[in-house]
Amino acid sequence: MDNYLKMQIPSLGKNESFARSVVAAFALDCEPTVEEINDLKTAISEAVTNAVVHAYGDNTEGVIDISATIVGRSITVTVADYGCGIENVDVAREPFYTTKQDEERSGMGFTIMETFMDEMQVVSKVGGGTTVTMKKVFK
Amino acid sequence: MNLKYLYRGNNLLISLCGEIDEFSSRTLRGELDRLIDDTKPLKSVTIDLKAVSFVDSTGLGLIIGRYKKLRAQGAELTLSNVPANIDKVFKTSGVYNIAPKID
Repeated sequence: MDNYLKMQIPSLGKNESFARSVVAAFALDCEPTVEEINDLKTAISEAVTNAVVHAYGDNTEGVIDISATIVGRSITVTVADYGCGIENVDVAREPFYTTKQDEERSGMGFTIMETFMDEMQVVSKVGGGTTVTMKKVFK
Repeated sequence: MNLKYLYRGNNLLISLCGEIDEFSSRTLRGELDRLIDDTKPLKSVTIDLKAVSFVDSTGLGLIIGRYKKLRAQGAELTLSNVPANIDKVFKTSGVYNIAPKID
């Protein structure tokens, strides 16, 4: 049976681990392989980390909405924030691009999301926030 | 995140246990740097990931940062016992070009 999940969390660092664990547990219904579940966890972690670190920065009260929908053997996950937004999404998606070089960021977040999921879409508005939608089809 | 280390023959072997994400990196970065700064002489550092269950791109940043720090003092960084899920993250990012895997 198809299924859905909706949750809202504040932009606290400790919620990165919580969010990826919840979505991974939700996806277990599709009986994914260990590799597939790890791919999903890593991609979710990247999206939520972006919201915590880049969208909200020092603000730990920013709102992050996460939803996931299972249809058949595929899961679509949306991670939305209402933070600073991304000026140029195409540039931000390039490997090794980071706005925080002094903080040792690898700039690989979007590349990992793209590589580990089957589809990824980023919609962002400066001052309005960013929504990342990712889909994975379990084999 | 737990950390154990063994210093032998100018090599520092650091075994990590837990998950390396943005949140755990906030404290782990300082702990690793203190350990590196306090250990002399130092020719190489090996980070053992056998007991690490998760690494994302923040973990990559942490590895790259330690590589730069060690290179500046003429020491090498290697990675050992990399679990399959973490190996995929490392291969995607090309981290083995700077911190080779030794098994």
